Amino acid sequence: MSAITGQALAARPAVSPRRSRRRRRDLAGLLYVAPALALVLFVLPLGMTVWMSLHNWPLLGLPRWIGLANYKALWNDKAFWRSLGFTAHYTLFATIGLLGTGLALALFAQGTGRVVALYRTAFFLPVVIGFASASLLWAWLANVDSGLFPALFEALGLTSGRVNILATFDPAFWSVTVMVVWKMAGFYMVILMSGLQAIPADYTEAARIDGASALQRFRHITLPLIRRPFALALVLCVSGSMLAFDQFYIILAGGPQNQTVTAVYWIFNTSFVSFRLGYGAALSMVLLVILVALSVVQMWLLRDKEEAR
Amino acid sequence: MSAPARHPAAGAGGLELRGVSKSFGAIEVLKNIDLDIRPGEFVVFVGPSGCGKSTLLRTIAGLEEVSEGEIAIGGRDVTDVDPSRRGIAMVLQSYALYPHMTVAENMGFGLRMAGRPKAEVARDVGAAAEILHLQLLLDRKPGQLSGGQRQRVAIGRAIVRDPQVFLFDEPLSNLDAELRVEMRIEISKLHRRLGNTMIYVTHDQTEAMTLADRIVVLRAGRVEQVGSPAMLYDDPDNLFVAGFIGSPKMNVLDARLEGASLILGASRLPAPALGTRADPRLDVKLGIRPEHLRPARENEPGLPFTVDFAEFLGGTTYLYGQCGPDLSLVVEAGRGPVPAAGTSLAIAPATRPTCASSTPRAGG
Repeated sequence: MSAITGQALAARPAVSPRRSRRRRRDLAGLLYVAPALALVLFVLPLGMTVWMSLHNWPLLGLPRWIGLANYKALWNDKAFWRSLGFTAHYTLFATIGLLGTGLALALFAQGTGRVVALYRTAFFLPVVIGFASASLLWAWLANVDSGLFPALFEALGLTSGRVNILATFDPAFWSVTVMVVWKMAGFYMVILMSGLQAIPADYTEAARIDGASALQRFRHITLPLIRRPFALALVLCVSGSMLAFDQFYIILAGGPQNQTVTAVYWIFNTSFVSFRLGYGAALSMVLLVILVALSVVQMWLLRDKEEAR
Repeated sequence: MSAPARHPAAGAGGLELRGVSKSFGAIEVLKNIDLDIRPGEFVVFVGPSGCGKSTLLRTIAGLEEVSEGEIAIGGRDVTDVDPSRRGIAMVLQSYALYPHMTVAENMGFGLRMAGRPKAEVARDVGAAAEILHLQLLLDRKPGQLSGGQRQRVAIGRAIVRDPQVFLFDEPLSNLDAELRVEMRIEISKLHRRLGNTMIYVTHDQTEAMTLADRIVVLRAGRVEQVGSPAMLYDDPDNLFVAGFIGSPKMNVLDARLEGASLILGASRLPAPALGTRADPRLDVKLGIRPEHLRPARENEPGLPFTVDFAEFLGGTTYLYGQCGPDLSLVVEAGRGPVPAAGTSLAIAPATRPTCASSTPRAGG
């Protein structure tokens, strides 16, 4: 083996063999994933959407080229911008709830031991339920006539009489947000826990000797050292929340008074209720641009500041 | 609970362990350790891996709680005191420099967390940096430093805390051989300059010998012997210490005392003076350091010796070989022609054997 390497070295002294070998391996890897990933899953649908967004594209009948007219129209589409505003509102609270709860659960469940492992499993369990199933379950729990929550709140004296929590905006919004936190916090717990477990115990010990309190250790040692997994969780969480649809469709159907229509919900309505596929595609493109911009900003905020390890 | 009044090692930086035991579940790692360390002393805990030396250091630091016993630092009972309030600073094996902070931030972390004013932190960090020649590195991150520089930053972080007792947990084991020698000298100089009590854990007996005022040899959670390097070398209490201290190892041979003679294999030698002699005929272990043996001069009587292997180290040569069946020996030879493997020669004692201890006679 070493003799062969030696020959290769002697034959081509100009190119570092290790470098070229690595490049070859990278190319091979790209070659394997390229067709599936780039073409089928991303480029094709994206190109299709762009193409559609430049047409008046009914479900039946022939599409007609209209150039940028859809984009001009959406500029004045108040309902779309309102739905986008609501989505941002939801994303803010869902992200705080999800990452906060996820981090708290991760801190709690990162230890070893059988009981902790049991908790870890319990926290993660809701993640494997489908969003639609979880939403249906929640809709049933929140039902004013037969559900658990209205009866429970009444019995606890939190509400006077039986109140339909899905009938007004605030309780409706919060019940969906709580459902999402219940369902997804375990996922972010796993991501953040991987970061916590990668922190060597030495740092904590050194900080204890340095006299840092538990809170100071968390703030000055733990948080900075889980920045990378935290950035991943944040980007996933924000993009996931910006694309929220199922829970608002199934539990609230956009109500009360169409106040909980998210951006994707509006695109769905446009495309598959009003059958304006071209216009829906244009809305999708705008949402994509917003998502990319948001992700870039987050990555930039949480970037590694010339930290060589 | 005993009153903290009765502490002989009570001066600033003195340390006292009384009956310290530590168990992890059913496994007893430290067994009833008593130890007094005087203020300003450099004490090295040494022993094979798994002997409990690091655990002992960590219980002194307060990173592990003792299962039983008491620890006093500077005359104050600190058995249940938080690590940060024990007046100690510790340099960990991995250095544990916070990777997201600069050298200056690392060194000043403890002071900042204690809420000390910025100017004061900067002054103390600056002073420590000067001692360790780190002034030019203060704005670097740990990832941009070499192993030796990281080591110095870790020591600097300890100095900034201005502790009564410095604790070092195998601080040189991640460095290459050359740097290890260099840092060993620096730590020794630092001890002379600061004058603090230092406790140093290592598995390397050379480090222990060169650094320590006193060495504590540990095995399986027990103290085997405490003493100055010279004392441990010249007068080990037992076979373990005899074998552990010194490189190459002391030769330990089965021998037999008969009156004033020592029977070693087929040879009869004059016996060394023993403190006690219960039995005129006694099976003993004979310990001879390699430097106490030498190749015999021409026509000088000696033990026949066959060289298996010669280790040339420049100033000296160690000869590994056989002195008859089941009798392996290491002999130090001076500068001269290195004998080839298989050479037969005679060896003679350079001085008296250093150590002889009695063992129970087989079969009563």
